[in-house]
Amino acid sequence: MLKTADQIPVTQTAVIKEIIDSPLKINLMELGFLPGKEITLKFSAPMGGPMAFKLDETILALRKNEASLIEVQLL
Amino acid sequence: MISITKTPKIAIIGNPNVGKSTIFNQLTGLNQKIGNYPGVTVDKKVGTMSYQGSTYEIIDLPGTYSLYPNSEDEVIAHRVLNQLSETEKPEYVLMVINSSQLSRGLFLATQLIDLGLNLAIVLNMADLATKRNISIRTFEIFKALGVPILSTDARGEKGLDQIRELIHTRNFSKKGSFLAIEEVVPITLLEEVKRKFNMSNNYQAYQMLRFGRIDKVIAQADRDWIKSKLEEINFDLAAAQLEETKIRYRKITKIVDLAVVKESQPKNEKSGLDGIFLHPVLGYVIFAAILLIMFQAIFAWASVPMDLIDGFFAELSGKVSDLLPSGPISSLISEGIIPGIGGVVIFIPQIAMLFGFLAILEDTGYMSRVVFLMDRWMRPFGLHGKSVVPLVSGVACAIPGVMAARNIGNWKEKIITIMVTPLMSCSARLPVYVILIGLVVPNKTIAFVNLQALTLLGLYFLGIIGVLGTAFLLKNILKTTEKSFLMVELPSYRSPRWWDVILTMYNKSRTFVMEAGKVILAISVILWVLALYGPPSRMDEIRTAGEQKLALATSPEMEDQIHAETSSLLLENSFIGIMGRGIEPVIRPLGYDWKIGIALIASFAAREVFVSTIATIYSIGGDPEDDLTIRQKLDQQIRPDGEKVYNTATAFSLMIFYAFAMQCMSTLAVVYRETKGWKWPLIQTVYMTALAYLSALLVYQILS
Repeated sequence: MLKTADQIPVTQTAVIKEIIDSPLKINLMELGFLPGKEITLKFSAPMGGPMAFKLDETILALRKNEASLIEVQLL
Repeated sequence: MISITKTPKIAIIGNPNVGKSTIFNQLTGLNQKIGNYPGVTVDKKVGTMSYQGSTYEIIDLPGTYSLYPNSEDEVIAHRVLNQLSETEKPEYVLMVINSSQLSRGLFLATQLIDLGLNLAIVLNMADLATKRNISIRTFEIFKALGVPILSTDARGEKGLDQIRELIHTRNFSKKGSFLAIEEVVPITLLEEVKRKFNMSNNYQAYQMLRFGRIDKVIAQADRDWIKSKLEEINFDLAAAQLEETKIRYRKITKIVDLAVVKESQPKNEKSGLDGIFLHPVLGYVIFAAILLIMFQAIFAWASVPMDLIDGFFAELSGKVSDLLPSGPISSLISEGIIPGIGGVVIFIPQIAMLFGFLAILEDTGYMSRVVFLMDRWMRPFGLHGKSVVPLVSGVACAIPGVMAARNIGNWKEKIITIMVTPLMSCSARLPVYVILIGLVVPNKTIAFVNLQALTLLGLYFLGIIGVLGTAFLLKNILKTTEKSFLMVELPSYRSPRWWDVILTMYNKSRTFVMEAGKVILAISVILWVLALYGPPSRMDEIRTAGEQKLALATSPEMEDQIHAETSSLLLENSFIGIMGRGIEPVIRPLGYDWKIGIALIASFAAREVFVSTIATIYSIGGDPEDDLTIRQKLDQQIRPDGEKVYNTATAFSLMIFYAFAMQCMSTLAVVYRETKGWKWPLIQTVYMTALAYLSALLVYQILS
């Protein structure tokens, strides 16, 4: 089932399907959020705060808004 | 010996958090210069490296993920690398890549190759990659890119020597191109740009198309030309950029697949420290505890050198005025210039220590965690997670706070942060608060709470309310098309590199003294002139009368008393005194008389000047630093109608005024420096003064 990255439960891993068109698309892609990559939600700040994803060997924090631009498939 | 050959310039570039600045610091040591790039707030860091008798100029470029114009940092990288200004043109580029983040690093590296630069790559943090069971076949990367690659650990001396050797042997190479940009941009357009700007490289022409609209260094006519060219063929740059990114990453992935060998992926990785530091409850408790320790340390440690500096400059003033024949020159030096310089230097301990702590938090990787934890709570007020650092610094001193705001990429969030940081209750407000609270709040304890402490706490909260309210207001006023976003890496925890911490402390203090010092000194001298000079006949009269009285004095105590009274009279009749009387009708509704008016004007330089000025006005002899004598004296001041001058209403009105008013020329000077103009510091001063005036008016009218 296709979801966006802000819906990934904590500790779950998903594979990126597509980055939704927006002015931030390029920023996400240059950080390495690319179709085919696996991301794991490691931490989530309380009350809808930022989310920390593991991508390759690094942990990257995004706001919910930015995460919702990443279409993923849960593994 | 004068060398005939030009010093070679080497630019260091890389993603954020790859140890780029460490390499720069280690190579150049104290031979660094921090300057400005025209039109932006990014610091220009240039240093010299000496190695085996040769000298090299090293330029530290801001950390960036790509050469796309997302922020000022990237515009700078573009400007330097595209050699739009010949003087900054680096001959060689050293690209630093974090070994565990190869693809992200190669993304930028291949862009540099496409620009036709003379490049070498340093694969840094090889040790960290080994720890993660990653090994890199550098030969595969070399085969694919054709530029020299050095795999090392720049934290060790051996790694640094390898880098020095690489620079010394000029082991850089220029490779044609990695990606054919003609695939995404029409070649006819590229050819036209190349002809127009006299360029030889297609990728450079493409960069010109994208940056030309943004970078204000490029002439307006050229920018218009670029715009019209793009419109002519209806070319979608954003789409081209996305396409370029996709192709580039596709090619990089192939290289990385060949080059990176992951031996046994450690399953079930522990979240380690982040499980505690990012905990939804514990995380905030730890953050609060770290802040508490930090401020405790700053207040405890900074006060010692600050007192020494204070004493030193006071003594120096005294010595100079004794040595020089008395007259305007002696007075200018001993009462204008020396205290002016002292007023700049006095901030150094706090600035250095705050930046020391911030550098440690940054270097260990904790700061990004703070951004992560706080972003949610800052956003409703138009602030960013990164605004936490300036605001927190503001509790000690607004100056380093405003300086720290430059890390915020979004223009609107940066301006809001700079505008509200001086509203935090800084340490210079403390002397004013302490005297006034002592005067009108009883030192009583009700239900374990000391009333004086409670009042002080209330004033700090008032500052925070001022910050949030103002930020919220600005959020709804300022307009920007820039989208706010948070994309921040949470780097692995590391122990701080002390040398870097010390260099940061040194550089930040130096920047403050050099840049803000000029403005502060100028204002000090103006205030000195206003306080010393008045209508000559009136001033002479007071002096003569004073001397006559002095001749009749019978004891040293009496002499002191006469001296104090004479200086008080002189101040009253000086230009500042006249101004104080002039503003009396305006400040009367706040419960202030003209004497307080003088103190308000004089303390525009710095809030704590309020205390020394009222000490002079009320001719308090002896040690004006002694709170008790000042307090007693203030308590005795009676208005013509028999009411105390410093009654509860006036004292609270004053406290509120100082809580909100700008009253700090150093902050003003730093805001000028950080915003590159007088617009924002002026708006800020007017706003804060108005806020202070209206709040004080309200408080006085309610309490009296």
